[in-house]
Amino acid sequence: MGGAVVLNRLPLPAQLDRTVTTGGLLAGAIVTPPLIALIVLRVLGNISSAQMVWWMLAGVIVAGALGAVTLRNVVHSALALIAAAMGLAGMFLLLASEFLALVQVLVYGGGVAILLMFGLMLTNATEDPVVIDGSQKPFAAGVGLILGVALTAAMLSANWDASISTVVDFRDLGARLYRDFGVPFEVASLVLLVALVGAVAISRRDNDDDNDAEAAS
Amino acid sequence: MIPLEYYLVLSGILFALGFYGVLARRSAILILIAVELMLAAVSLNFVAFASYMDAELFTGVIFAIFVITIAAAEVGLALGIVLRIFRERRSANVDEASSLKW
Repeated sequence: MGGAVVLNRLPLPAQLDRTVTTGGLLAGAIVTPPLIALIVLRVLGNISSAQMVWWMLAGVIVAGALGAVTLRNVVHSALALIAAAMGLAGMFLLLASEFLALVQVLVYGGGVAILLMFGLMLTNATEDPVVIDGSQKPFAAGVGLILGVALTAAMLSANWDASISTVVDFRDLGARLYRDFGVPFEVASLVLLVALVGAVAISRRDNDDDNDAEAAS
Repeated sequence: MIPLEYYLVLSGILFALGFYGVLARRSAILILIAVELMLAAVSLNFVAFASYMDAELFTGVIFAIFVITIAAAEVGLALGIVLRIFRERRSANVDEASSLKW
């Protein structure tokens, strides 16, 4: 009741108000049961805290990935990708490599997400939602399902001689990266530079060529 | 403790979802989003193996850094190409970009 009053005071259009309320209620209804189940399992001692966090993050990642590949609104799809990337950053933290988690947040949450948004806004992807998914969708679903089952079965059937997970120290990571992978590191920076220059060169509006083409035709 | 298989299965599912997206989508930018998912699945796999099976050298973490770098470069370049195609064709639909020269 209180929430509804607050929502009525927000300067939102009436339709958006309803969308926010129903969307929030729907999301809460979907998220709450597994969350309660996880907490109950933790309290009963069936799973460790790390496992509880793992299941939460896995839920965020899989839901984000599903949203990114199935949502019809392309901006929502990009936002779902960000959610999956943030869940993955949490997964990296759980795997005890903090540096990668930071890089994941900076690069995916910042750079890639903004770039994709720019791409979506600069093309007509938002205006034409009908063509998003082609008629090949059932075929794609079948292939994806087969691939997922095959990968899962392969990874479960192999006998990994896995020890306990270890923390990757910032200092060790830097030493390893610059001492043993110095040349690939430099090559990677060169690749970034070339990609940047190439992107500018490709997407630049070349008026000279256009004029030439018009003059020729 | 979380078994290694948890991470591997999650990364397999993520890769399959990305693959589905690449096949099912038609807009070039949505295909890029799905490719990003596949790359993320690969780097999760790398980091999981590095953390569980390669504790002294953690080569997988280094590889994940390179994967993220290349993914960023790829997105920038691919968006440039998509914008170019869109400017010529008024559409980012990959089905319509079927000719090498026009």
